[in-house]
Amino acid sequence: MKQEPAGEGRDTAAEAVFEAKDLRKEYDEGRVQALRGVNFRILPGEFITIVGQSGSGKSTLLQLLGALDSATAGSLLYRGKELSRLPDLSAYRAHDIGFIFQAFHLLPTFTALENVQIPMFESKRSSAERQERALSLLKAVGLGERVNHLPSKLSGGERQRVAIARSLANNPSVLLADEPTGNLDSENARQTLDLLTQLHEERKVTLVLVTHDPNVARSASRALQIRDGHVVYDGPPSGISFGGTP
Amino acid sequence: MTFLSVVVRGLARRPVRTGLTLVGISIGIAAVVALVGMSRGFETSWTAGMKSRGTDIVVNSMGTTLTPKPFPAAARDRIVGLPHLAATCAVTVELMSIENSEMTIVSAREWGGFSWSNLKLIEGRMPKDAMERVVVLGKTAAEVLHKKIGDSIQIETEEPTVVGIFDGGALVENGSVVLSLPLLQEITGTQGKINIIDVRVTPGTTQAEMDELCRQISQRIPEARANIAGEHIRNSQGYRIIRAMSWGTSSLAILVGVLGVMNTMLMTVFERKQEISVLLAIGWKRSRIVQMILWESGLLGLLGGLVGVIFGIVGVELLKSTPAMRGLLEPDLSPGLVALAVVIAVIVGVLSGVYPAWRSSRLQPSMALQG
Repeated sequence: MKQEPAGEGRDTAAEAVFEAKDLRKEYDEGRVQALRGVNFRILPGEFITIVGQSGSGKSTLLQLLGALDSATAGSLLYRGKELSRLPDLSAYRAHDIGFIFQAFHLLPTFTALENVQIPMFESKRSSAERQERALSLLKAVGLGERVNHLPSKLSGGERQRVAIARSLANNPSVLLADEPTGNLDSENARQTLDLLTQLHEERKVTLVLVTHDPNVARSASRALQIRDGHVVYDGPPSGISFGGTP
Repeated sequence: MTFLSVVVRGLARRPVRTGLTLVGISIGIAAVVALVGMSRGFETSWTAGMKSRGTDIVVNSMGTTLTPKPFPAAARDRIVGLPHLAATCAVTVELMSIENSEMTIVSAREWGGFSWSNLKLIEGRMPKDAMERVVVLGKTAAEVLHKKIGDSIQIETEEPTVVGIFDGGALVENGSVVLSLPLLQEITGTQGKINIIDVRVTPGTTQAEMDELCRQISQRIPEARANIAGEHIRNSQGYRIIRAMSWGTSSLAILVGVLGVMNTMLMTVFERKQEISVLLAIGWKRSRIVQMILWESGLLGLLGGLVGVIFGIVGVELLKSTPAMRGLLEPDLSPGLVALAVVIAVIVGVLSGVYPAWRSSRLQPSMALQG
């Protein structure tokens, strides 16, 4: 399928949360081309999955969206502004987006309650306000009774829920999730996906989720398939072929 | 949860390593407290001794040894009559091995000179005349040498009798064996030689007048140098060497502590690469990461400093009570020195964390997605 800029034909009047134009990312002095001219738009409140095989470039794309890395060429706009030229990228990472990792990446010596408070050090909340908000977020993800447990005392599903609560700490408008169910068994994966879907609906956050799992991809309203650094499909998840060419 | 608890948790995650690093830095700080405290104590002890004798100006020639170099006793005649000079007393002070004590202060004073007047007898009596073959002991010296009235004491080849025990009002005085100058000169074969002239100035003499008097004395006695009491120790080459060695040894010990803290913090940064990347990925500023590492290393320094001060004080107290050191000096463990040692420890801690902090600030948030 020929790539067409995402969002076009949907709601062109709305300002895109993200807009990529001929986005490229190279490593190893150009010997590895992870993204080879990617174009798409992501609108506010969308739930979009980025799917692709290992090494296709999907995680690289998530890194660029999260300002964890910078593009080699092309343009990536965040709400109309060039992302790499934002005056304070750490403020963008702290307040505009929330990151959820496949391996949870909770700090092992901090309790669930403390882990959720960590991003809030970059906000102006007092210590008491941080704690109150962390408690409320943990309750929202169903961990109200497990707040004082260290990550090592939590199941994989619980750890990912703590990580999700942490991603919401500074009330971001965008959630970026990298294979959030990749390290979970099917039951916990389903619960995590349900929670993300619920948060997306309730909080109206834009959810960008990288996955290689067809079931996970199908829960989104839109899918972006990447292969060899190109967007090869942009449309409803039902149109994706995980086995071969869509 | 506060930022400080994040810092403390960072150190607490490897308690053994943190503890060993803390011991490393505390040894350096203990060395500062002990060595510098003792060298400063040397100065304050001798100054107190001078004050106790009522000496305003000291004329001597401090070389590289702890006791002054001898010069002709007749030199004293050259300063008689100088303005503001009230009295003089010729003295010879030696550090001698006496019986079981390896280093005892032997202070021989001009018979009838003012430097005898501060000695308050606790027991016995003073010598009857300049050539009576007797000594009086400071109370600490009597204790250290295990001597009482009537005992004989071996000085070189002579064995004068102990006739009195006194309180001299200062540790150096109380740790001394005091006898008349002619007797010591006879015992040591140094007739006509002294190594100190104690000078007392007339009441109401100003600092400027004392400085001028020092200048005039130094001019008239080129073999020696006149200094305001107290300053003579500070200006002596021997004391400067002691002080330099104290700081030199302490600096080496501190350097070892610095390397220990730096190594620990570098290992911390390497071990926590991914964790730091995650913190960057979830919005922590690089400056906050740098702060976290610097606070951790600074806290290590502070704790090491506090433990080191305790080690240092305990060490000095133990050393002070040994027979070799008793009565010789009163270490200066003033709050100022303790505060200085702790400040040094914190600075050392923070400086040791600068390179690891810089390394941590170079980590990329993209590492968070790896693994």
